[in-house]
Amino acid sequence: MTREGGSGYPWLWVAPALLPVLVFTLYPVGQALWTSLHNVQLLFPMVTWAGTGNYERVIASDYFVTGLINSAKMVLVAAPSVVALGVLIALLLSRRFIGRGIVRAVILLPWALPGAITAVLWVWVFNPSWGVLNGLLRWLGLIDRSIPWLTDPALAFASVAVAHVWSQIPFAVVLVMAALATLPRELMEAATVDGATAGQRFVHVIFPQIRAIIVVLLVYNALVAFTTYDVVYAMTGGGPGTATSLLSFQIWRESFSMYDFGSGSAVAFIVVAISGLMIFAIVKALPSDLFADG
Amino acid sequence: MGAHRRALAAGAAAIGLALATNPASAEDVTLEFVVWNYSLDTILDNVAKFEAANPGIQVNVTDYTWPDYHDSLVLRFRSGTQTDVIYAGQDWLPGWAAAGFLAPLNEIAPEQIEQWKAEMAPFTVSDMTHDGNIYGLPYYADTISLVYNAKILEEAGIAVPETWDDLMAAARQLKADGMEHPIVYEYDQELPNFFDAFVAQVYGRGGDLFDAEGNAIFDDPSNAAYQQLEWLQQAVGADLVAFESHESTIIPAMNTGNHAFTIVYNYVLAAMNNAAEQPRAGEFALAPMPGDAHATLGFTKFYAITAAAAADPAQREAAWKFLEFMAGPPYDVAKRWAVEKGLGFGQLPLLQDPDVIAAWEGWVDMEVLKQQVETARAGTWTEWTSMWSAFFRPLMAQAMVGEAEVADVMRQGAQRWNEMKEQFASR
Amino acid sequence: MRDRSILGRGLTLLAAGLVFLFAAGPIVLAGLGSVIPDRALFGDGGLFDYGLVFDNYRYIFTGELPDAYLTEGANRAMISDAARQVPQSLLNSAIISLSAMVLNILLGAPAAFAFAQFRFRGKKASFMYLILSPLVPTVALVVPFFVIIDSLGLLGTRLAVILVHTARALPFTVLILSLFYRRIPAEIFEAARIDGASRWTRMVRIALPLALPSIGATGLFAFMLSYAEFLFAMVLSGDAGSRPLSVVMAALARNTDVSWSLLNTAIFIAVLPTLALVVLVWRFVVEGLLAGASKG
Repeated sequence: MTREGGSGYPWLWVAPALLPVLVFTLYPVGQALWTSLHNVQLLFPMVTWAGTGNYERVIASDYFVTGLINSAKMVLVAAPSVVALGVLIALLLSRRFIGRGIVRAVILLPWALPGAITAVLWVWVFNPSWGVLNGLLRWLGLIDRSIPWLTDPALAFASVAVAHVWSQIPFAVVLVMAALATLPRELMEAATVDGATAGQRFVHVIFPQIRAIIVVLLVYNALVAFTTYDVVYAMTGGGPGTATSLLSFQIWRESFSMYDFGSGSAVAFIVVAISGLMIFAIVKALPSDLFADG
Repeated sequence: MGAHRRALAAGAAAIGLALATNPASAEDVTLEFVVWNYSLDTILDNVAKFEAANPGIQVNVTDYTWPDYHDSLVLRFRSGTQTDVIYAGQDWLPGWAAAGFLAPLNEIAPEQIEQWKAEMAPFTVSDMTHDGNIYGLPYYADTISLVYNAKILEEAGIAVPETWDDLMAAARQLKADGMEHPIVYEYDQELPNFFDAFVAQVYGRGGDLFDAEGNAIFDDPSNAAYQQLEWLQQAVGADLVAFESHESTIIPAMNTGNHAFTIVYNYVLAAMNNAAEQPRAGEFALAPMPGDAHATLGFTKFYAITAAAAADPAQREAAWKFLEFMAGPPYDVAKRWAVEKGLGFGQLPLLQDPDVIAAWEGWVDMEVLKQQVETARAGTWTEWTSMWSAFFRPLMAQAMVGEAEVADVMRQGAQRWNEMKEQFASR
Repeated sequence: MRDRSILGRGLTLLAAGLVFLFAAGPIVLAGLGSVIPDRALFGDGGLFDYGLVFDNYRYIFTGELPDAYLTEGANRAMISDAARQVPQSLLNSAIISLSAMVLNILLGAPAAFAFAQFRFRGKKASFMYLILSPLVPTVALVVPFFVIIDSLGLLGTRLAVILVHTARALPFTVLILSLFYRRIPAEIFEAARIDGASRWTRMVRIALPLALPSIGATGLFAFMLSYAEFLFAMVLSGDAGSRPLSVVMAALARNTDVSWSLLNTAIFIAVLPTLALVVLVWRFVVEGLLAGASKG
């Protein structure tokens, strides 16, 4: 490959992207890190050095293990689901069929909704007493008692996971479709002429070409599942009990409900550390030359 | 707030000068007024009226949405953004006052405050007081009660529940008759209301969570709070209760006719009974909180002046004029909120106001409401209450669904309260 | 891909139908909910007892009260004027998100090209810095972001939100685009180099057209990230004049004076223009250019 070396000239290309990111990361992340190492409590004006005190307090707290387990469950359920469904839908939408244009447009819809609205719509679907899903099942004669979608712990987790996956699928579809669109046409035609089945074609021809994108999507979705909470908390508030409580939510909770910005930042960096490990594991598990220096 | 507002102010200023009643108008003061945007149009209209009556004072309104209001204000305080007059709440007052964000009004206008206090509901005065100082004038005040579907109860031949045992029996009977979840309950451990509603229920029983010295005493099984949490656990365990994560979805839930009881703020009843939207409007009625005392929790949101504004004489004078206009006698602004939007109030004379009565009779029995307001008690608001409540609510939520034992939850909650109290005492 | 059986076609259509239902179902519900009054939705009668009622749309755009509020027993003031902020917030969101999208492509595309095609000192370190920077959860950064924006004097402006959204999306833009650039066969550039094309010409004439679908996709990503973002938008935007849709919608979802049908009307109004915009970008920019590229 042609990659020139040497001069500082490429920095002119990189700087416009790097500078804004630096401005909005160096100071904020540094500030957050500093906060996590100090006792910063809104109602106690004295700020003192805490060392690892905030971290220890967070890890020893009641919410830590439950939150971590739920967040991990969310990653394990949501990230692969989003990527698998995203690839399947993208493949489907690359075929020709009547009404393809409409489906291609509609698949993007969930993306445009802020979390609060996604939650409202899915509450309408899952609400036990006036939700559409129970209404439909009742009308079909499949149930005679309403199913407690949001009040049974296991069902509540599944329900919020569906809403989360729903909101994340469009990006996966768009990215995979963009990757498929840049595949060399001859490659696909050669495979078709060889008489390969759709499954073989995917495994041997398509997948190797879009592997890098799939890894990126997997990493991105693991990160999103691990760090976002808005849809989940708007639907259940973390309940019933602790069934849908997530670790990342504690960053907000410690800072703004408990006025303890030190502990809130500590949770954030614990989340960062775990996310880092997670990403490392995903990248290791799916070997690719993605991050190679070339 | 563009040209229109300025033109209005200029016009008003001209009139002011012509009448030569307000020599201060030559010097312009701008107040930053921060609100949550419940009915912003009404707020802006009230502000415009104030500006017209007070040449030389300009009021900039910044509004945040209610769920984000508290955090946005904390950010403004933390970053020193100019903020003069704000909406504040009883639960935030001790923290904000202790942190030095707010100014005591009894130091700004001692005589008026002393006079006006006499006409306010006792819980309202308590809600606006911290360390013996008064920090606000009421914007609105409300109480939490049992709301029931009168039609359903009548058809089932059930009397309005007087006690928690009555309510349990009524719910069981309705369930036996085929109603899946006779009670619908706002269940979101992250919302302060979740704890407030619980306190209201404890007050209904005539108990309290804290003793006179402010120590937590609810880990005692004979305490009303302990008993109430057991009651809730039992009701949920018997599958009598449906959860909604927010009061805004309790309104449609009650209007499906699938539930007969709920526990909500009075203004939610106004929305439930609004014939413009709701299919069962008119079926819902207020019952005093069940229990021997029938008391409940009252709370107050109020206008407050920031310490930063009070430090500057001109700002302070303008801010006080503004508060006087918004909440002082003859209570025109509070009355407007009550008549137009169904908001409650802390100024008791309005309970007798014919316009208020005429407007409210359509959706609530005024006699029952008066009784509830008169028995309402203030919550125990300290610097650490909201933090502690954030700690306690998830525990309560777990106990309700049977994920934790009531005894454990109450022990942990009381222990944490007493620790925090200690911590703040030695600050 | 051509010779498919009737069965195959049928299965494709069935799958497409399911995808359609899954993606659009909840939004179709919102559309229905916006024209069926709560009285019909939650009452005992039929869904269409009151016909289709468009009063909430009229209220949002003109402020004229829905007819139902003029009936007896109605509380005329008990309707949220916050819903009337939706059109303005839609405009704010469009301005903010389109700006974030354009800035992302302008700032991100050259960097991605450099990362993909050039060799230079500090490349690996700066690339890793870029792609690891979004790891820190946004909630932890709210206070310092607020301080930065306040010290720039931008608090309460659309520009504040645009800046922050751009900075938050840039790492993803650069990462994804550089992946696409890397997949452009080296021979194409080799040929151009022999022709004497400068680096800039190579990027503009060769890489850009080849990467257009992915630039479209990443631009769309930046747009959507901004459009749906709530936390920074809430904290940094000011009053109704600059407040984007996500903040207004979050308030509507929680206000008791917003009826279910008014909320659904707001949702539907919020979704429709977005859909139109997204379809335009997707159909005409991405697919159109793609078709052109493969012909040429």
